[in-house]
Parts: sequence; C-alpha cells; structure tokens
Amino acid sequence: MGSKTFQLLEVDLTTQKIQRVDVTEDMRKFLGGRSFGAKILWDRVPANADPLSRENVLYMGIGPITGLLGSVTNISAKSPLTMLRGQSNMNGHFGNELIYAGYNAGILVTGQSHAPVYLYIKDDQAEIRDAAHLTGKSGLETQQMLTKELKAETDDQNFRFVSIGPAGENLVRNADVCHDFYHHAARLGMGTVMGSKKLKAIAVRGTQSPAYAYPDKVFESIKKLLHAGRLYIAENRRWGHTVSMARRYYNTTEGIKNKQLGWDAICDLFNPVHLEQQYKLWGDSCHGCFVGCKVPYMRREPPLGPCAGELRHDNAGGWSANAMIAGYELQTYLCAYVDYLGLDSEDVSGVVTWMMECYEKGLITQEDLDGIDLAWGNLEAICALLKKIAYREGIGNILADGLKFAPGKIGKGTEKYAMTGKGVAITSYEPRGSSKDALNLAATSVGELHGGRGSPERVMYDSMTSCSFWRRTIREIFGSTADWGITMLNAACGWNLTMEDWKKLELRGATMERCFSIREGYVPQRDDMLPDRFFEERITNKYGESKVLNREEFLEERKKLYRAYGLRDDGIPSTDLLEDLGLEFTIPVLQLILKN
Amino acid sequence: MKKKRQRAAYTTHGIFPGNKDGWGKEKLPYPEGVGYITTRWDLCIGCGACEIACSMAHHGVIHRELSRIRIYRYLIPVPKSVQSICTQCAQKERACQKACPQDPPVIYFDDVLLRMAVDEGRCLGADCGLCRDACPAEIPRFYPPEHDFAMVCDLCETDGQRRPRCVEICPTQALEFMAPKFPQHLERIHPDEKAALLAKRLYPLPQDRTIRLPDEIWGGK
Repeated sequence: MGSKTFQLLEVDLTTQKIQRVDVTEDMRKFLGGRSFGAKILWDRVPANADPLSRENVLYMGIGPITGLLGSVTNISAKSPLTMLRGQSNMNGHFGNELIYAGYNAGILVTGQSHAPVYLYIKDDQAEIRDAAHLTGKSGLETQQMLTKELKAETDDQNFRFVSIGPAGENLVRNADVCHDFYHHAARLGMGTVMGSKKLKAIAVRGTQSPAYAYPDKVFESIKKLLHAGRLYIAENRRWGHTVSMARRYYNTTEGIKNKQLGWDAICDLFNPVHLEQQYKLWGDSCHGCFVGCKVPYMRREPPLGPCAGELRHDNAGGWSANAMIAGYELQTYLCAYVDYLGLDSEDVSGVVTWMMECYEKGLITQEDLDGIDLAWGNLEAICALLKKIAYREGIGNILADGLKFAPGKIGKGTEKYAMTGKGVAITSYEPRGSSKDALNLAATSVGELHGGRGSPERVMYDSMTSCSFWRRTIREIFGSTADWGITMLNAACGWNLTMEDWKKLELRGATMERCFSIREGYVPQRDDMLPDRFFEERITNKYGESKVLNREEFLEERKKLYRAYGLRDDGIPSTDLLEDLGLEFTIPVLQLILKN
Repeated sequence: MKKKRQRAAYTTHGIFPGNKDGWGKEKLPYPEGVGYITTRWDLCIGCGACEIACSMAHHGVIHRELSRIRIYRYLIPVPKSVQSICTQCAQKERACQKACPQDPPVIYFDDVLLRMAVDEGRCLGADCGLCRDACPAEIPRFYPPEHDFAMVCDLCETDGQRRPRCVEICPTQALEFMAPKFPQHLERIHPDEKAALLAKRLYPLPQDRTIRLPDEIWGGK
C-alpha cells in the first residue's frame, strides 16, 4: 500500500477564495498540527506583523493520527496576547470530523473578511457563508443555532463546530475558540485572531474514508492501549481532571491568592469527591479515547442555578483558591460564565486576581474599577468585571489587553503584582512547590503555558496529534512515546519512520516554533523568567514547610534544559542544529541573533 | 513494584490482564437464542470505539460510515452521546422487512441464524431507502460510494459464532448483548428522541444557555 497523501483546505477570506492544496511533502517533514503550524507561520506571516491584521493566519492543525487517541486540534496563529508564536490545543471531535471530510492536514484561514462569516464544510463542498445573525451570540448559542439551521438544510445533525463568543468578536486579547461547549482552544488569544478575521464559526461534517495505510495495525495498537490503560481510565473517568487540584494544593504547586500564600483553609473546599457526588452528570470523552475524562456538572438550586459546565484544572485552577472563591458552589457558576463570554479562563483569572491584589493593597480604588468592589472571592464583582472585559467597557477596555499591555497602561506600581511571563498569566501553577514546574513554565517559546508545553515530546503529541494526558500510560505500556508514536505513524501513513527520524521530527517542530518566536522578538535569556515574587517571597504549606525558588539554581537548571532541547546555553538554536534539521532557511533571517 | 500495585487494582475491577479475552468479561453472558445489542445511553461516553471495531470486523478498515453502530453526539446543551443500532425487532414490529419493495424482502429476519440479514445483491440501495424510512430509528444505513446496500447489525456472526465486537470493545459497558427481556419500544426510538429524554435530566436548564446571566441574578448595574 502506498503512503498517504495530505490535503489542506486553504481559505482566503479577503478574496473569498477556497482551494485544496496537497501538502504531503511538508507533512512528512513537519507531521502536522503544532510543528506544521509553526512552519506555516514562518512562511505566511511577515516579521513583526500585527496579529490582528489581515497579515496573520489561522491554522486549524491536525495530524496523521488525529482521532485515534483523542482528536486534538492544534490552532496556530501569531498571538495577539504575547506577540510571539501562538498555539492552543483543544480536544473533542472537531479534528476527527476534518479527517473524515478529507482535509487531513487541517484548514488554513488567511486574510480578513469585512462582514461576519462562517465557514461551511461538508466533504468536498466548502463555502463562506454570512453570519450576521450569529453576531453577539455565545459560542454555545452559535453552535446550537447552526445545528438547527444545518439540520433543516441537509437533514444531518452530526456537524461539529468551532465558534467564538462575544469576547472574540470584541477582540479581547485572551479570547478563546469554543468547540462542543466545553472543549476550548483557549490559550494565547486564538479566538481573538478568529474574531479579527470576522470568522464567527466553522461547521464541519465528513463522510469520507480516513484511508489509513494499515488499519489492522492501527487497530491492534488501539486495543493494546485500551486493555492496558484500564487503571488510568478508572481514576480519570471518575473525577476528570479537577482531581489534580486537590493534590496540588497539598504539594504547594497550585497558586493561592494570586500566589501570595502556600496554604489556606479554602483549599479544602476543592475536593473532587464533592464535585462528583453533588454535581457530576456523566462522563464524556473525545474521539478515539476511552477515558471519558470530561465530567460535566450541573447545579440546579437557585439563585446561581441552573447552570452547567465542566471543571478542569485548566479552567478552575486560576480561580478557586487563587481568587479565594469559596468552593464549588460558586466555582460552578463562575466557570460557566467565563465560557459564556468566550474568554480564556486561565488567562483572564490571572488578570482578575492581579486586580484583586492591587485592590487589596490600595493601588487600585473602587472608582478606578467603575464602582466594582473587587474583594477576594466576591463572585458578583468578578462577574461584573468579566463582563466589562469581554465587552471592553470602562476599565475592561484596558484589562482586555492582557498582562503584556495592561500593567503598563494602569501603572501606579501595580506591575509587579502581575503574575505573568511573556504576557501569559501564570495561574494554575505555583512554581515554588516544584522546580520542575517552574522550569516547564518558564522555558517555552510560546509563553508560560502549563504542563511543560515547551518540551519536544509535548510538541510531538500536539503535532501527531494525540492527547498528551496519556503520555505516562503510553510510556508504561510501550516503553516510550517514540516507540508508540513510530508504530502508529507508520501504520496510519504507510511510512518507514525510524527512531532517528523521530528524534529529528521532535527537534524540528520544537526548534521551528522557537525560531518563529525569536524572529518576533523573543530573547530566551530575558524572557524565560518568572516574576520576582517566586524568588523573593517565601510561602508556607499546610505543614509549616517554607518554600521559595533560588534564582541561581533556576538559571543553572534552565541551562541544562536548553541543552536537553538541543539548544545553546542561551536558549537559541545553533546554526549547526538548524542545518541538521533542514531549517537552513531560517539562518539568513536570524543571522544577527545567531552570531551573538 | 509499580506493576504489582497495578495488578491488584485490576483484580478489584474484575478484569484479568493476563487473559487476552478478559476484556468484556464483566458483561452479561451472551444469549443462546434470539438476542440483540441493548444500548445504555447514560453510560455512552462517545469515544467511537464501537464504530472502529464494527467497521474493522465487517470491512477491515477504520471508517465510521461503514459501521453498523453509530454514535450521535448532541448538545442538550451539555454534550451527550447516544448510540444507534439495530434491535433485531420482533416480527410484528419489524417495519424494515415490510417496507422492502423486493419479493422476497432483501432485508429480513433469518429464522435459522436468529438475526437480521440482508441479501446484498438484490438491494436497490440508498435511492430506494424505504427500509430506512420505515424504521423509527432510521437504522439501515447505506454508503453509496462503496457499499450501496442496507447495512444492519448481524451480531458479528460467523459460522454460527456470535461475537459482537462493539460489545467487546465498549470501555464503559454501555452496550450489552442479551436476550430481549421486555418490550423494546424504548430502544427502537430515534437517537434524537433518546437525547431528548436524557435532556429531561437537566431540567430546568435551557437548551441554548448553560447559565442565568449575572443581571438576572443580581440585577443589572
């Protein structure tokens, strides 16, 4: 059987042109998803372009094995939040639907529409359609309306959508892309870029064959993972991923009160058993994954109910004890409201908690906040401020610019309380509890994302694309990510990848995105740093142990990490590495930086 | 050390990792006579493993559209998946067989094999589609590009052996292979209706929003 071909759907919103492009060669070199996204950004976005202009692109990236273990869609664009390389993951069913529609290299949206539109894709048929009637609707409302419309039109209710909410339309810099109501590609303002293109939603339905080269081998591999992954399934199906929060509070690895404390009694209110027994509805999973770690909740009782949503470490961690929210009773409402507005819960929680601390310290007054009493844990005040941010009203107009731009605009000594790196809020994690977390947060070229997003291994998960929550289990069952990845890729595409190829692919993806960020002004030694608070203020955990980061040790460890990523000690790739990986086209552009 | 602990956990779940066929052992015993695959919508997590297993068993490919079982995913407004598969109806309720224009019907209940069967060669395909229209759940499927004949569940029967692959692979035991125990009128319904029934669990949540807006709770400011 021959190896697979890859098709990319290219949509130019300015000229309203849609075409199908064969990108098989690029996909072999960059795999897809995040790595291919970095290459596209390098090629298509001019240096120092404004992310909200028509020069930016939006790439809905998928890879060769999307839909076989989770169906991750990795969205790439230059980030309006950090002005560097932007990328964000979401799971669900969207990527798989794209595979079935025949666009197994994803969708590339370029240009900018002058009126709101949505993209309709059913197999070979792709159209740009008017979306005036969807303007102002939340992500979920948009999807419900489109489902009804398209069912009436095509007698098919199985369309899958991505959409943006009011925040994305109003170009709030940390707006998210919403899919199926609780899958969000939230980080780094991907929804903002979609909003700037006036692209309200994308609807996809596919009925074509995914045409894997050796389906039996793919199926064998899936079954092996399924059988052996039972233990992982049991734990995560029960609680979903809020389970990590409770553990993290005890390990001092979860932020409390905008990172001022190491323990507070409020932490004990966030016990997943409470959520499970009182509010859990059922389990839900992404395509091709057998865990079902999505655990939607619903609360009925007024005044806050009825409300429904899903709590994970990502969207709840930044609020919870970090904003001194008193337990799941309030948290369940708050996260649902953030989703309604279409904001990145993790990032906007950093903005709000920063304001809360400034308010507590008297740097910001109630007048500055347009009359909002932003005390710790005041749900009503938080919601009022969120609304202002999402609709860019009053103080919200400044805060909507995120932590790269807002602190400078507000001034008054508030800057040092902004827990950020490269403009991304550090919210869920408390770096003082674990130096590994601290490094993983800091040493990425894409902003302070949680979960070690900068490591080449994670880049591979986002490029193939598959769910990286499985990585520990995959290592246990198959030995390493590489062993499993090579098997899956060869079976799905009919390639003959070796371990050597894998290592190159891994480094190529990670280095490519680093090169893009460097071109846009990222200086690793300066930017891969955490706020001073983590090196200067001690925190104490529940049992009286005091913790703080040591700056020298941190810098030493960072150097080691750079070396492990194949980089020079200053975090910049060497010319040799770039040539070795086939990225020599970056050398002339980065010449000045590489020489130093 | 780590492996030992894992084994203990497996055992408490009633699964034996050493046994390759252990997967699915915790399910109901397979029936000898008439049987059908019953769906537990509340347990379905929508992973699509059954679709992959079904298309592999019947066509040797991974292709959702060729699967006899299908997962429908709804937003009610919380995402919920429900399954849709042939329930091997009793004779009086077997609308597909009665609707078939061919004589004898192309789609029929095989009295020897005790399951639905399709005479593929004589089927008129998707353009006819009368069996699908007659079935309250629109079960018979067609995939005109490759397989333009009615596809219904055959319980994965080969040489008298029935081993439904979807039941065996389902990670949440949301599918069971069992003898009909009571009237199937609630299993023969369209997935849309299944989702509508499940949506009642979410009362009083509205369909298009998952919250009451802050203004409704605290008053506008």
